[in-house]
Amino acid sequence: MPYTSSLMRARVGALALLLAGSLGRADTLSEVRQRGELVWGADQEGGGPYIYPREDDPSQVTGFEVELAARLAEYLKVKPRFFQGPWDKMPELLRTAKVDIVLNGYEWSEARAETMEGTLPYYVYGLQLLARKDDAGLASWKDLESPRAGRLRRVGVLTGTAAESYLREHLAERIEIVTYDGNTDSMREVETGKLDATLQDTPIATFYGPSFPRLRKVEAPVGRGYYVVYARKGDRALVSALNEALILMIRNGELERLYRRYDLWDDAQAELKTLAESARFYGYAQAVGAAVTEGRLPTEEEVRRQVRPRGWTVVRRYGLTLLQSAGVTVILSVLSFPLAITAGLLIAVGRMYGPGWLRPLLAIYVETLRGTPVMLQLYFIFFFLPEVGINVPAFWTAILGLAVNYSAYESEIYRAGLQAIPIGQMEAALSLGMSRALALRRIIVPQAVRIVIPPVVNDFIALFKDTSVCSVVTLVELTKRFSVLSQSTQATIELMLLTAALYMLMSYPLSVVAGRLEARMAREGA
Amino acid sequence: MIAVRGLVKRHGALEVLKGLSFEVQKGEVAAVIGPSGGGKSTFLRCLNGLEGFEGGEVRVGDNVLTPATHPRRDAALLQRVRRQVGFVFQQFNLFPHLTVLENVTESPVQVLGLARDEAEARGRALLDRVGLGEKLAHLPRQLSGGQQQRVAIARTLAMQPEAILFDEPTSALDPVMTGEVLAVIADLARGGQTMVVVTHAMGFARGVATTVHVFADGHDVEHGPPDRVLGDPQHAVTKGFLRETGKG
Repeated sequence: MPYTSSLMRARVGALALLLAGSLGRADTLSEVRQRGELVWGADQEGGGPYIYPREDDPSQVTGFEVELAARLAEYLKVKPRFFQGPWDKMPELLRTAKVDIVLNGYEWSEARAETMEGTLPYYVYGLQLLARKDDAGLASWKDLESPRAGRLRRVGVLTGTAAESYLREHLAERIEIVTYDGNTDSMREVETGKLDATLQDTPIATFYGPSFPRLRKVEAPVGRGYYVVYARKGDRALVSALNEALILMIRNGELERLYRRYDLWDDAQAELKTLAESARFYGYAQAVGAAVTEGRLPTEEEVRRQVRPRGWTVVRRYGLTLLQSAGVTVILSVLSFPLAITAGLLIAVGRMYGPGWLRPLLAIYVETLRGTPVMLQLYFIFFFLPEVGINVPAFWTAILGLAVNYSAYESEIYRAGLQAIPIGQMEAALSLGMSRALALRRIIVPQAVRIVIPPVVNDFIALFKDTSVCSVVTLVELTKRFSVLSQSTQATIELMLLTAALYMLMSYPLSVVAGRLEARMAREGA
Repeated sequence: MIAVRGLVKRHGALEVLKGLSFEVQKGEVAAVIGPSGGGKSTFLRCLNGLEGFEGGEVRVGDNVLTPATHPRRDAALLQRVRRQVGFVFQQFNLFPHLTVLENVTESPVQVLGLARDEAEARGRALLDRVGLGEKLAHLPRQLSGGQQQRVAIARTLAMQPEAILFDEPTSALDPVMTGEVLAVIADLARGGQTMVVVTHAMGFARGVATTVHVFADGHDVEHGPPDRVLGDPQHAVTKGFLRETGKG
């Protein structure tokens, strides 16, 4: 029933809510305090030093932003709860109230400040140009602008970041910009020679420096910018509380200690202190004037860095985590597919035997779902339906999205199966006094099911692999886990083989089953 | 039992039945013969509502089918008609996913609500009667055409209809199998079963039917006792047809 009433509301209020552009919600700070939990959004695929899987337990996360979030929550006297989502979808997650704040290397920009509420900066970053050590022809930014062997230099950046904007603004026509989704992808591409250089935020360049020994920094960082925490537009109370916490952490040295541990503290961070000082003029006099005691700096032991694991170490260390994520893949498949085949069968029967008005509607349903990518459909359920008051959790979004998408394909398979049943079968059933429904249930459908088993099993294998798109709605299944681990460890080859092997292990038995069924059908001549 | 008045059936612009009238009494065996394209099969399919029609009416017991009868909206009426008249197809149309016995028990259990063992007892007796008591567990594809048609007859009998319509039941069979099937139908006739049989088997029409109807060009051009119609045809079409089929 809640869904019915939601739908009713949806019809009435959809347009108004769309125009409003965000969910009318109470003050998030009081909500957070009442709930006792600060839900912060980030993408562990973004990797170190921000947030990445822990080495000793890859199902847990660590990183300077994990620690920062914990400290901020502590200042608000609540517990932190990490919410995994794709990095580029963070503003959507914030807008649809799936998270309270975004804390994930999001740069302050005018455009973002239009749609979200930013805090004071928690880190001052620069953009570091990296090139190969053995590439003597690229020693300065100036070199970048001269084509080599008649083609523009290729520079890699993370999609949608300040680094990309910087290059487009300053070097648009003089270099070729190549965008990537994983932040170390382009570093690897420079090492292998596919790219000439990459422009990275200073934390990434520093953190991953040891993992890419063949790269070197070119000149000093450029384009100074600020990472801020974003809250929903209008959540000023929450932003004020976070600002106060940040000011205190800057003043008592907690932030410096944290950054030194990750080797992130550099001269640029001095600006944080200036900013904290001047905040007294913007309503934060209390936090700026409060008495604080400075803590100690971290020890050598605490700043020890991880090295890139190799070979069987990778299998031992991450095998279990990958296996668990494979479990998620299996659960998604086995829950969504039965729904898909049931719905598909009903749709096919409706299209062939249903009343006249129903048939075009079902045809539209099938064509719409077959004609659009499943990723968009998931996106629609997860990020659009909340606008009209229907909030489906990520897990059920994935199940529902896959089931709905595949129901369209299954219905076409069933339609072919039903069409293959001679008309005489229905006539014989009706002539024996059966109703149409009974004839379908007892005579027509059982015969059609036998015909469609092989293609349906094949589709199950396809769905099984399509579960990887569910990462857009924040689920971490096998493929996403692979991306996360490979970004943070750089052990891409080992992880790729392991992931592929897991997929094969799971889908091969299904192929065997499909093959056997097909052979049996052929033998029976059905 | 069955009364047809002024039946008009069109396939697009082609008028297949042109105001045809027809009657079968209880216990009567009516054989319908005539040249191909004379509308015999179409006529039969109108009798149990497998096809609608454009004019006239079909009366089965107390139930009346008219041009307004709708396959979905009047499903209950059609179901009543079909419970009274069974139908045996030229192509048998057995259910290939069910065994011989299941083919026969399916409808009694699902439609009449018979207990399974009761339906099976009835099914066994009928399959014995058509000479297939040994084939209960076989699937239709394991049977010859003649055997399949005999199962189809048993399947229809299991619903205990008041009349049975046969649509060229032996046209898809070779002479030996034709003989098996006609023997079963003749046996039913002796038992007083009301039947309408569209057939090309003149010997059968002469030996078993109580009335022979000659359909041509959308009309029932001539009907009467077999000896009279086949022995002393009055209508030109009948004469021509009998000449072509070698006088049966």
